[in-house]
Parts: sequence; C-alpha cells; structure tokens
Amino acid sequence: MIFPFTAIVGQEEMKTALILNVIDPSIGGLLIMGEKGTAKSTAVRALAELLPEVPAVAGCRFQCDPSGALCTECRERALHNGDFKTERKRMRVVELPLGVTEDRLVGTLDIERAIQKGEKRFEPGLLAEANRNFLYVDEVNLLEDHIVDLLLDSAAMGVNTVEREGISFSHPARFILVGTMNPEEGDLRPQLLDRFGLCVQVVSVREPELRVEILRRKAAFDDDPATSSRAWVEEQEALAKRIVQAQTALRSIPPADEALTRIVRITAALDLDGHRADIVMLKTARAIAALRGKPAIGPEEVRDSASMALRHRMKRLPFEEIGKDADRLQSLVAAI
Amino acid sequence: MKFPEFVGHDKAKLALILNAIDPRCGGVLFVGERGCGKSTLARLFPEILPEETPFVELPLNTTEEALLGGVDFEEAIRTGTRRIQSGILSRAADGFLYIDDVNLLPADILGLLIRTDRPIVASMNVGEAPISPHFLDRFGMAVAWSRITDPAQRTAVVRAAMGTAPPAVRDGREDALRTLVCNARNRLAGVSVPPPVEGYAAERCLESLAAGHRGDLFLRSAARAFAAFHGKGEVSQQDVDAVIPLVLDHRRRMPSPPPQEQEDRQPPPPSQDRSDRAAQPPDSAPAEATPSTADDPADFAGQPRESTPREQVFDVGEAFPLVRLHFRRDRLKRGSSGRKLKTLSSDKRGRYVRSRNQGSLRDIALDATIRAAAPWQILRGAGEILDVRADDIRYKQREKRISHLSVFVVDGSGSMGAQRRMIATKGAIESLLVHSYQKRDKVAMVLFRKDHAEVILPQTSSAHLASRLLRAIPVGGKTPLSSGLLVAYELLRRVLLREPETRVLLALITDGKANHSMTSAPPAEEVKKAALLLRELPFTEFMVIDTERKSGLVRTDNARVIADQLGAAYFSIEDLKSDSLVALIRNRETTLKEE
Repeated sequence: MIFPFTAIVGQEEMKTALILNVIDPSIGGLLIMGEKGTAKSTAVRALAELLPEVPAVAGCRFQCDPSGALCTECRERALHNGDFKTERKRMRVVELPLGVTEDRLVGTLDIERAIQKGEKRFEPGLLAEANRNFLYVDEVNLLEDHIVDLLLDSAAMGVNTVEREGISFSHPARFILVGTMNPEEGDLRPQLLDRFGLCVQVVSVREPELRVEILRRKAAFDDDPATSSRAWVEEQEALAKRIVQAQTALRSIPPADEALTRIVRITAALDLDGHRADIVMLKTARAIAALRGKPAIGPEEVRDSASMALRHRMKRLPFEEIGKDADRLQSLVAAI
Repeated sequence: MKFPEFVGHDKAKLALILNAIDPRCGGVLFVGERGCGKSTLARLFPEILPEETPFVELPLNTTEEALLGGVDFEEAIRTGTRRIQSGILSRAADGFLYIDDVNLLPADILGLLIRTDRPIVASMNVGEAPISPHFLDRFGMAVAWSRITDPAQRTAVVRAAMGTAPPAVRDGREDALRTLVCNARNRLAGVSVPPPVEGYAAERCLESLAAGHRGDLFLRSAARAFAAFHGKGEVSQQDVDAVIPLVLDHRRRMPSPPPQEQEDRQPPPPSQDRSDRAAQPPDSAPAEATPSTADDPADFAGQPRESTPREQVFDVGEAFPLVRLHFRRDRLKRGSSGRKLKTLSSDKRGRYVRSRNQGSLRDIALDATIRAAAPWQILRGAGEILDVRADDIRYKQREKRISHLSVFVVDGSGSMGAQRRMIATKGAIESLLVHSYQKRDKVAMVLFRKDHAEVILPQTSSAHLASRLLRAIPVGGKTPLSSGLLVAYELLRRVLLREPETRVLLALITDGKANHSMTSAPPAEEVKKAALLLRELPFTEFMVIDTERKSGLVRTDNARVIADQLGAAYFSIEDLKSDSLVALIRNRETTLKEE
C-alpha cells in the first residue's frame, strides 16, 4: 500500500508541479530542491498510484504507446503484423540509484542470449523501464557527471539511442524525470538545471497544527493502511478524474497571443538564456488552465507558472543560491 | 516542426544548406547558449538532404567498437567466418555524422573522430568542457548561437516549438528546399572559381592567421556551394565574403571557443609570439618561472588585450572570469585529443570505451569476448552453449573524469588586516572559486592565523559552501605560514592516498611575512622545509598570490621567495586587479597546448 496522494499535508507547489507534468509530460520533469523528509519520494509514488492505466503495446519491453513513437522492435512488429495487440499498464516509479553504471542506464548486450544462443539482443536498461513512467533520481547532483549527461540527453530528446557492444538500437524514452537535490552537497551545472522543466523548493512544514496532522495521518496509515486509505478514496478518485479531464482539455487550449506576449515580456526582462524558459512557461500555464477547467490561458495562469518554470533558470551571481531572488521574480511577474 | 518553420538563425540554416549541397564543406559545429534550438535544427537537417543520404547519430554512450565496427558474432558463431559488422563511421559513409553535446564525448572517441573525414554536424553548449583547437579545426564551419531577442520572433519560436505554427506554413516548403539543394548539387561540378577569386580567398585566409590549409579548402567548397545555391556558374568575391564568417571565424587563432558562458562572448585574446610569453609551464625550473614581477608591470601592460572581461562586484571584492588553470600533465595516461580532463580508469567506474586483452577478471567485456570466441565455435565443436577459452577473454577499458582539487591556503594574519587588502584577496579567491565551480573541481581551504593553521573546509564539491566560509574568514594575529603549508601537505597526502589520480592546484594567498614557527627554527627556515615537502607531492601545481602592497615603502617580496621555493606561478595582488591574471593564465594555456 502507498500513502494516498491527497492525504499529503502541505507541499502544495510540489504536488501541483508533479500533476502538471502528468497532464503534459512535455513540460520536461521536475527538480525538487530541499531538505530530507519532506515527502518528496512519497508524493511521486503516491501520484503514480492514483493515475489510471494507459494503453501499451502488448508484450513490448518498452511499454510503447500504440499511438506514439515506437521502439525498434515494435516498428518491426508493425511491419510484420500490420497492427499489434494492446494491454493496459499502470504508471510506475523507476528509481535511479546513485551508483548506477552506464550499461544499466542505457541498456546493453543481453549476455544470457549471447552465450546461450549466440544471438545479439538488446537488454533494456533503466531508461527503457522508465519510458512512459516516472524516473526518480534522488540526489541527482551527486550522480557521476557522464551519467547525468546521458540521462538528460535522453530526457531532452525523448529517445534513447544505443551504440555499444555490437548493439545498435533505439527506443522511446519519454519519462517524467523527477530529481531531488540539496544544493549544499554540490551543484548541478546550469546547462543541466535548464533541462529540468520545473523546479520547486520544499521545506518542512512549520505550522505546529499541520505538523501534528502529518503525524496523525502517517500514524493512522502505518497502523492500518487499508482502513485509513479508505477515507481518501473519494478525493483520490476526484483528483484522478480532474487530471484525466485536463489531459484531454489540453489540446483544445490555444497558445493565445496575449499569454505568449506576457511570457516573453517576463523572460526578456529577466534576460534568461535560450528559449526553454518561454516554452516551458507556456506549457505550464496551459496545463494549469487545463487543470482549472478553463478554456484559455489567463494572466493568472501565466503568473502561477512563473516561479516553478523560472526559479532555476534565473541568472545568478556566482554561488548565489537558487531561489534567492524569488521576490524580484514575483514583483516582476506582478508588474507585467 | 519542419526545417522552414524553424525561426531565425539564418546563418546556421545556411551552413546546413551549404553542407547538404556539398559535404566537402566539412560539416558544422553549433556552439552557444543552451536552449536555443541547436539540436532541434540539427535534427531537421535530413529533411533537406537528398534522399537516402545517411545522417547517423553518434550518441554519448558510443564505444570504440560501435564506432569502428567489429566482428559480427551472430554470423561468426553460425558460419565460422569473420564478417565485419559495420560501425557508425561506415554507416555514415557519403553522409553525415550527428553528435549532440560533442564536447562531452569520451576523449578516446574524440581522438578517433579527429582522424576521420566524415563531415560532422555537432552541437555544444558553452560554459562546459571545451573542445581542443585541433578538433575544432576539423569542422568546416562553426556558428555561434545565442537567443533571439526580438519579442515577435520569440513568440514565433514558442509557437513553432509547440507545433502550433499557422497551418499555412506547412506547405511542403521543405520539399521545395530539398529540390533546390538537389539542383545546386547537380550544378556544382560546373561552378568554376576564377583565379582572381581564388587569390582573394587565399588572402582572406592568410589575414585570419588560421593555421594550416583546411580553412582554404573549406572556404573554397563553401563559396562554390553558395554560388551553386544561387544558380550561378562562377564564384564571385561576394560569394566568398558571404561564407567567410561561417568558415573562418572559428579559425582565427583562438585557443578554444569562449569558455565562459554568459559574459564571455567577446573575441579571444590575440595570439602572441612565443618569445612574448610571460609564464612558463610549471614543470620548468623555478628560476625561469615568471620572469616578471610587479616591479616590471610593462611586461603585462604592454601587451595588446582585446578582451575585457565584464566584472561583477561582490562584498568580497571583485571576481573576474578566468580560463582553466592547468594542472600538471602526465603524458602516460592522457588521450591524444588535447583534453586534459579525462584519464583511464583502473577500477570499475567510468565509461566503457574499448576492450583490450589484459585487465581484471571482475570487469570482462562480454561483447568483445564473444566476438573473439565466435569464429572458433564450429572448430571447437561447440553445441548449444558458447565455448569460450581463456584466450578469448577481453576486458573493459574504462575512462573517467580526473578529479581536480583546488586547495586554498589563506593567510588570516594581522598583516593582512588592512581592510581593503583582505577585500581584494577575497575577491581573488572568489574568482578562483567561480572557476573551480564551473569546472566542477573540488575545493578545500586552509586558514593560518594566530598560532596555528586549520583546515576550515575539507574537500568538497560545493563551491557554495566555500564561498560562504570565505565571507566569514577572520583576520588577526601572527603569521604561522609554515604551519599553513604543513596542514595543507597533510590534507593533500590523505587525499592522494585515497584518490591517487587527483590533480591538485594549491593556491597560497599571503603577504609572505611569516613570523611564527612551530619549532625553535626561524620561520623562514620552516617555510622552506615545508615547501620542499610539498614539492614532492605528485600531480600538484602551485600558485602564490602575493598580497603585499608593492607601492608601500616597506616591501619584502617574501612571497616571491616562497613562490620560487614551491616552483609556483607567482602573481601579485596588483596583477589581479589589472586582470593580468587572466592574460597570464591564457598565455600559459596556449603554451601548454602547443608543447
């Protein structure tokens, strides 16, 4: 049993950012900065648990989306059979351990097959498992450099291309990347920070009453998970429904000129590098509008997308911490 | 998104079009700010290439065997014959290689790529690992990218990225473009280059001081492709001029593309004569090192400098961008590509680059082992299961990033007390910290004051932490300099025991006025002994920053003496203020590269 998502107290921004990524995975993942023990991993697991099943190509080792990008094997399947059977799969949370090797991450030659049958076959790695799932990387800043490079490269392109050990293979790797980090233990290069769609900061809840509530719910869950979860069924189902509706609504929300102009004004005033900020902000604002059941992106949605889309992209003086000039950002957004 | 829908960046688009017309243009490198669409545009390239032209991606996880090809073991096991399975390079024959983040490739793979003549389309972000000038030279063209600032265009960029460009644009213009490219290709053989234009092109190449003849060749191809694209039968001076920025800008004698990411878009420092170089490599005898001191500022000030790094003001004095400080080289282990950031790894960590015949049984390269065993299976009469003999076993050779450590040994004594002195000093340290941070080096800090020295920051990769500590450094008391050096020595010895491959830079920041010893020996004597100890450490390079005021009446130049004892590069605080440090280090970088 997993602690119900809707029973998590506080951490609203983190919860929203996760939901927005589910509504539109092309937002590009989430970086969570902050202390330990703030329900980061619980929230990700709980959200995956709450979501409905999605269709996938039956028997595919990469959970290919029948109506999306296909892996080398499914492309062959489609060629031979014309069509394929589908099955329904639940979204999972795949965890990337700190000591992960390159082979394990991108995949490698299937050793058993090679020895027993003399066949070259691709053994999928974690990027394959992560396709259409969450990929959770605790302390992403402590991963070895070349692993982070490989990870974020695939995340950005949505494809894992493997050229190693006699294997030449590619498969879709569209996952919701959730990374956590504590900046005091080492930083992430700005180029890599930029690859995370959104960024939130979490701190432990300060209000005494809420802290008591957290304890109470956690204790109740630990004592009897089944019974205590039952109290949340209604809210869980309602949220799942909202998310699914938002996913459908997304496509009918136009990137209106007004919202776009507003966004560009904000990012230009902040002198941010590249265009990712603009794109992510618009996608986020659109997902917020969808979640709120609105037909169009309004000024509030643009405003509410600003912090999470821009926090980690702000120009910083050397060693200035992420999120230091949150006030400047807020006042600028309010003014535009 | 389709090629014609890609907003702006006409120079980059032109580079791709010219390459599509004539692959002898030598490919193109997109260098620049992150998130501007470099990869997005590069991935649209196949749309304008003539049909069937290979465009093969070389991912970061590529191993040497995947690049070059190897025995196809499936075939070998079945038939006992060695058939070579084509690698990425041969799949890209008559076409293009595509590499994202080319600067992050393992050194060995880069080394192999330098030797091929396949045109490469590649992208890299600035502010990360640089690429060697040698590799840069291989690219026929290079285009610097930065974000579009025009609001209307920015809006268009977002629309295009969202796939919501107005439908009117989706009218098959990319097919039209491909037809144009194909027509130009057919015309190419008939496009002549009149001798005066050839002469003109040669002059422009000479003017750019580009090394070698690659620039001439690429310029010629590019100008011809440009003329062909515009339907002309003859190349004119204008055609040459049109492609000069693409072909020559990255060849104008520069050490590497701008290493700093935000502000450093200024041109690189002009190259200087060998005789002009002030700094010598650290390995050379101390007597030769840095012949100039602050007494003789003309040595630095006299040199022309185009680059004026933008400065930012801090409460700890001014920080300024530096280029990489070089760590002592070891020729045995480094690759040939000129990058000094990677080394062969002796444990199971790091990326697998190739297989070899010797190694540890705990790290067998299975693919290579099977390939080696495969052709013998029929002879060995193997049945269901592969028959592998000891001779077949191959091992993984891995490569990992060398870790670099910068140790700051800081004088916190009373003589540093003059407030302004410490502000400038902290500014200097901060600059070095920025540098370490950008290169992901580890840092450690030793402070000596009053009667002892202590490690105030054990080695960490958090430059943030170091910066915060720096702000809090107190000043006052005597100068136990020898103690500072000894504590640093102990720290380094421990680090090198645990991670013997670490490259170390020790920066001593002091006015050199040692006045407190640990034993009964005179302070200067102790310092000398400590310096001798430190010099025995492997892979360690030294740098002394002299904080003594040189314009004052009393000057001892003690720090200079210590620098000589350490075999250190020496800088006075005045050097720092006048950004000579930047120039000095740049100089040194060039010296090392051309060794």
